Amino acid sequence: MPAIEMDAPCMECNEANAILNTRNRSFCGPCYQRFLAYKVWRRMDHYRPRPQKNVKPTKPAQPQLLLPLSLGVSSSVLLHILDTGLKRQLAKSGRTSYAIHILVVEPSTELPMSVSYDTHVDAVREAFPTYSVTRIPLHRVFEYVPDMTDIMAEYAGPQFTDDASQSNEERLAAFRSVVSTATSKSDLDTVLFTRLIVGYAKQAGCESILWGDTDTSLAAKTLAGAAKGRGASLTWQVSDGMSPWGIKFDFPCRDISKPELSQYESVCPEISAVVIPDAPLSDNILTKNLSIDELMLRYVTTQGEKYPGVMANVSRTAHKLETTSGSPSALCSLCGGMIENVKGNETGLTVASQFAGKGSQFCYGCMRSRPEIIS
Amino acid sequence: MPPSTCYNCKAARAVIIRPKNRHKLCRECFIQIFELEVHETITSANLFFRGERIAIGASGGKDSTVLAAVLKTLNERYDYGLDLSLLSIDEGIRGYRDDSLETVKRNAVQYEMPLEIVGYGELYGWTMDQVVEQVGKKGNCTYCGVFRRQALDRGAARLGINHVVTGHNADDVAETVMMNLLRGDLPRLSRGTSIVTESGASDIKRSKPLKYAYEKEIVLYAHHRQLDYFSTECIYSPEAFRGSARTLIKDLEKIRPSSILDIVKSGEDMAALVPSQVRGAGKSCKSSAPADDEAAGGCGSQNGRTSGGEMAAMENQLAANDTAESRETEIRIPRKGLEAKKIKTQTLQYCEQCGYISSQRICKACTLLDGLNRNRPKAAIEISLEDEEGSSTLARQMERTQLTNS
Repeated sequence: MPAIEMDAPCMECNEANAILNTRNRSFCGPCYQRFLAYKVWRRMDHYRPRPQKNVKPTKPAQPQLLLPLSLGVSSSVLLHILDTGLKRQLAKSGRTSYAIHILVVEPSTELPMSVSYDTHVDAVREAFPTYSVTRIPLHRVFEYVPDMTDIMAEYAGPQFTDDASQSNEERLAAFRSVVSTATSKSDLDTVLFTRLIVGYAKQAGCESILWGDTDTSLAAKTLAGAAKGRGASLTWQVSDGMSPWGIKFDFPCRDISKPELSQYESVCPEISAVVIPDAPLSDNILTKNLSIDELMLRYVTTQGEKYPGVMANVSRTAHKLETTSGSPSALCSLCGGMIENVKGNETGLTVASQFAGKGSQFCYGCMRSRPEIIS
Repeated sequence: MPPSTCYNCKAARAVIIRPKNRHKLCRECFIQIFELEVHETITSANLFFRGERIAIGASGGKDSTVLAAVLKTLNERYDYGLDLSLLSIDEGIRGYRDDSLETVKRNAVQYEMPLEIVGYGELYGWTMDQVVEQVGKKGNCTYCGVFRRQALDRGAARLGINHVVTGHNADDVAETVMMNLLRGDLPRLSRGTSIVTESGASDIKRSKPLKYAYEKEIVLYAHHRQLDYFSTECIYSPEAFRGSARTLIKDLEKIRPSSILDIVKSGEDMAALVPSQVRGAGKSCKSSAPADDEAAGGCGSQNGRTSGGEMAAMENQLAANDTAESRETEIRIPRKGLEAKKIKTQTLQYCEQCGYISSQRICKACTLLDGLNRNRPKAAIEISLEDEEGSSTLARQMERTQLTNS
């Protein structure tokens, strides 16, 4: 974090000392928070009910939005910013334009032993007492995605036999263990998380999911998605709009970088007990042992130090692509991506040409991550 | 460990681990599979028609040499009925191109194909060595790229051929996809992956039959068929924007070998998702040319690109936009649905100077040439005449003057 001399005043309020620096401006803590918060609020503007002419204002149904909280910096700061915004609305007009529900999904991978999930979830409840906070483990995916058992068996192939007598937790662990490489594991996990969160959101009657991704993580997702053959899915994976499951995806932090959100967190004591700090990127790891997702996050993070604008532009570019929603192609039963090629891509690679002999219910990206059938 | 047997024929001893999928193969099976895959690429895209005359853009490097060898083999094996020729560009880079041209000349004999060489010197009056002398090592790839694109077209026209095949491989295409994502260049993203580029910018059709072939497999193929190719990189190629994408691709390949192909697949899908109003648009005359970022001859690094500080320049530009935006007051007119931005489309016309198709009044090559010619020292020879008479320097300068005036 760049340090500023104590005698530099905040460029915004001119009253306090500037302690944070971004985009060639220096701010005091509160002004910095406001500066970033505006960027998020602007993204949330479309939820504000718009009065229409000649229509008698009725009380519109308040949009119910789901905020999946990973307890990382980005989603926690997003929650804080939205909370601040909603409080302001409430003070101004006595009502809010939307309601949020918080969902904490427990990661099934092992956390560092020092981290107690319970403490952090309790901290969320304490810091944000007005919202419903639900906490579910990943293996509840079996409940929220009813055909999960079939998908799992088909995806894993003959090397895997599902033992229904086991607990869901054990079944999921067994399933995840058949996927061998780091890339495929992280790819599959992302899909499972998304399915669980979408499933929950639908059941809870939410119309949108508010993802905490920053422009940094969106750029990394864009590049990783392209590298995993999931280019066609980028239109909903990193863009605001309709997802394949009829629920909207929103990325309100898309104009803010990860370092900027970390700075926000540093001046926001309210959430310090909520956030589980990121594990630092270790230097001594062989490239070939990384997953593609990790590689891209590292790339975007290191390049972003020098070229933040260029990296931010990556997700903006993907955002400009046309949506595939409403396309007649069958969708992948696992990730929701298109199985067939995008319309207009007639001569390119296809699932059929690359994974011969399989009438597939999976898309190209999922077929690639699937455990190889050893013949 | 006992020697493994070939994954394909299950008989011979495997000597190759395929970089693409790590299958262990014997030499014969590898060669056969490699050729078969190129054949499938060609037939599934209906690349050629019977009796078509094809110019192979040949640099003497591995890609174009393998392309020529494979096309010759397939043409005979599957009876494509193609009339193949080699077309080379002589950029005039001493110590690089003159040696590689020798390779191409040998290839022409080996493959019994006619060879046409088009020189920058004869076409533009400037060899790359002279350009570099003038503009320095930075940014000279722009000249080379713009010149090459035209030179290939002109060479093909000279041969009366309107289909040029180039040696672009899967690594090149993947690199281009990543680079265009990083650069935020949607028009190029929409064109970069297509196997055939037949734009209005040129009458000549370009295609890349090796689009799905891995660079590593091309090298293996060349090795196992003992092809005669030239393996020195262009002496002028600097590190540029493409370098960042290239490093990324190499790392990705280490993690998951299929990712090169997967990026190509993503690129193909994304290309179809580029909004149509952006597709044809581009920044300059450069983009009216086909999406080939590298043309057949030579450098294979970053032609058509500016060198070095491009990433930094783009960063500054984006930061400036951001600052400007924060000072603006946005006034929005409520509109239903997505806002469709009006984007200026290009109209193609003929260059007033050389007649080449261009989106501007004067084509890029002519603009670059004007800049070069304006700064060309007119009196260089007189100065040296006075300075050192009869010296070897004079002889060299005389030689050069003759060359440049030709």
